[in-house]
Amino acid sequence: MTRVRYAIEVNGQPYDVEAGGATPLLSVLRESLGLTGARFGCGHGKCGACVVLADGAPVPACTTKLEDVGARSIVTIEGLARGGELHPVQRAFLEEGALQCGYCTSGMILAASALLERTPSPSECQIREALAPHLCRCGVYVRAIRAVQRASR
Amino acid sequence: MSRVEERLRIGPDGTITALSGKMDYGQGLRAAYPRIVAEELGVSPSRVHVVLGDTDVVPWDMGTFGSMSIEVDGHELRCAAAFARAVLVARASEQLGAPTAELVIAEGVVRRGAAGPGLSFEELVAGAPITGEVPEDVQLATPTPSCPDAPLGADAIDFVTGRAQFVADVRLPGMLRGCVLHPSVHGAKLRAVDRDAARAAPGVVAVVVEGDFAGVVADRHDHALAALRALSPRWEPPPVSEGKTEDVTMRSDAGIDAALAGAARHLKAVYFVPHIANAPLGPSVGVADVRADEAFVYGTAQSPFGLRDAVAQIASLPPDRVHFRPRAMSGGYGRHGASDAAIEAARLSKAVGRPVLVQWSREDELHGAPNRPQLDAALEGALDATGRIVGWRFDARTNPYGYGAPARSGTMQRRPAPLRGNWDPTQLAAMMAGRNALPPYDLGVADVRLHIVPAGVRTGALRSLGAAPNVFAIESFMDELAHAAGADPIDFRLRHATDPRLRRALEAVRDRSGWHGRRSGEGRGFGVACVIYGVTRVAQVVEVSVPPGGPIRLERVWCAIDAGHIVHPNGARNQVEGAVQMAASWTLLEELPHRDGEVLAATWDDYPIATFLDAPRAIDVAFTGDDTTPSSGLGEPPVVPIAPAIANAVFGACGARVRRLPIGPEAVLEALQLRT
Repeated sequence: MTRVRYAIEVNGQPYDVEAGGATPLLSVLRESLGLTGARFGCGHGKCGACVVLADGAPVPACTTKLEDVGARSIVTIEGLARGGELHPVQRAFLEEGALQCGYCTSGMILAASALLERTPSPSECQIREALAPHLCRCGVYVRAIRAVQRASR
Repeated sequence: MSRVEERLRIGPDGTITALSGKMDYGQGLRAAYPRIVAEELGVSPSRVHVVLGDTDVVPWDMGTFGSMSIEVDGHELRCAAAFARAVLVARASEQLGAPTAELVIAEGVVRRGAAGPGLSFEELVAGAPITGEVPEDVQLATPTPSCPDAPLGADAIDFVTGRAQFVADVRLPGMLRGCVLHPSVHGAKLRAVDRDAARAAPGVVAVVVEGDFAGVVADRHDHALAALRALSPRWEPPPVSEGKTEDVTMRSDAGIDAALAGAARHLKAVYFVPHIANAPLGPSVGVADVRADEAFVYGTAQSPFGLRDAVAQIASLPPDRVHFRPRAMSGGYGRHGASDAAIEAARLSKAVGRPVLVQWSREDELHGAPNRPQLDAALEGALDATGRIVGWRFDARTNPYGYGAPARSGTMQRRPAPLRGNWDPTQLAAMMAGRNALPPYDLGVADVRLHIVPAGVRTGALRSLGAAPNVFAIESFMDELAHAAGADPIDFRLRHATDPRLRRALEAVRDRSGWHGRRSGEGRGFGVACVIYGVTRVAQVVEVSVPPGGPIRLERVWCAIDAGHIVHPNGARNQVEGAVQMAASWTLLEELPHRDGEVLAATWDDYPIATFLDAPRAIDVAFTGDDTTPSSGLGEPPVVPIAPAIANAVFGACGARVRRLPIGPEAVLEALQLRT
């Protein structure tokens, strides 16, 4: 794989990354940038554990190629809190106790924050649809729905 | 009992540290343990720091399983804290010249009366750490004080900000990446590999082949993966199993045949539970740094000491030269009893003399991780003319369970309740495969047997071991008997259950769900099931909807659970809700596809689990125990009755008696066609 220099923006900061164009964004985040909050779950974009925001839209970082990132602004879970203030969705997940092992939490919170940007007062059905790509084996679905409802208030 | 200093330390600065060999991967121990210690010491839980699983620091522990972390280790911590409190009070009494009866302990200060002169914990332990053997009859605080409820522990913020360090996030200086070959059929023998091709691949540092073990170490994960493919292995199928069966007789009353044949009604039914996968969100992962004189290991591990000992053997080091460093890990549900990737990392690290991280892929995880055994159970029951059970037979074939990690031989520090007594293989099998094969009912004459046969695929522990499959058969059959007797399913259970705490849970779930006002039929059904798991009592009612030909939906769940004193109500509810969701997933959706020992699933598409779209609308949880009863486990018990409760509700909704899992639309149609 030919190594090329790519300029990408993550959490508001510019980075120069030298790697093959097909390198998954997840590897870049976790191995090159030290941002390990996006978790490896399946490598096929089927579990949601690695989801990050690209220009505000949730995308699986494991199937997003470095060469396809382009000028899109990437936000990872590490970049969601602003100025030391937790994002309302982060706060709501804490207040509802909507996590167990925490492996799916990063992706779920980012997807929920994207939903609330688009739809500030989603119905329960919309919340389920938006979070459906996020698997949780510990089973916090009911609590996570409540957390998103709390954050939307 | 252990020594107090092995369990609890109050530092010269007043910091309180609780120590346990258990691991927390979602059960909430990091929130619950501080509360237990805080309850006894009269401090805020936020003052209590917890160290879990660090083998250099915590007392030896067999492993995190069996819903024993609160019941057994929590009790040890409570006793240690109570002992420490007594020492603190005695010291304060001496220094203040006041009788102990006049001393009160609050917020880390022992005072004479509520506002009198006091001494802080710091002052009381200055220069004299609290040590000593904790007596069995140590005086616990009565009644057990309760801390204010809270959703999560203090560390939860690390998970919502991404700061939590999971095993896969470990980065050591000079760390390499390893990949290991896994055969498609468990137990296959490695016949040949192309070492040269792998060595020639970019970034490769070493190719390690030892017997059936073959792996590569490279600078990057993608390089290691490419080199692994270049190995082009040739596998030979595993030797044909001798099919040795272990027979376990759990009950064999005289006169069973006569009791069954001579009764007013004699029912028979056969139930089947397929293999299912633990399917954790994070696949197995481990890091090892094996050096000449010591080794460090990080891994997905339920048994830190088991993993430490296994790595010691690989590294030819004494166990105390191996240091297990705990990190956060994906939920495991039994899967982390086998620390596969960490063991592989240790073998590779030993070969290259540098730290190595091994990350299993999703395909590795589905192909190679242990699965829950199958269950084939034939049940017979006999009713007398009044509708009372007078005969019961349970005869089942299943596969070996097992805790996976090499368990330390010899004595355990303190044998947890389910493991007390002599420990022979048959008893062990009864404890694991036979868990809850004996129903909590008065059955008249009964005969209960299991036949444990090797499975084609790798099998191991999954949340509750044999309990969930056994109780699916038992509680479904109880429903069949109730209907045959023309009795309400809850009344029928109450009539046969002698345990007062189980009866209380059944009555509670009946009332909370409005059971007697609920009518099943026309695609909507209500079902009940219950269990006594260890000493925890659980009764559940579920509501399902069954659209014609479509997927079954779990609408609502009511759960009454008696686990004694609840240490952390919100965390306990979280466990119960999660258990319900996981069990609903395997009941309605899951079956491991496999053929001739080969698992035919590589991605989540091949092994779907429940998503947000499948989650029930609400899960009602009521704790029916009282605070004077010691805490018992609740991570596993609430998974157990879900499958039969759903099956019973489906019967109520449409008349289909589904006797096999998963209960998908096809299974319902098939059951409807079989109905005569």
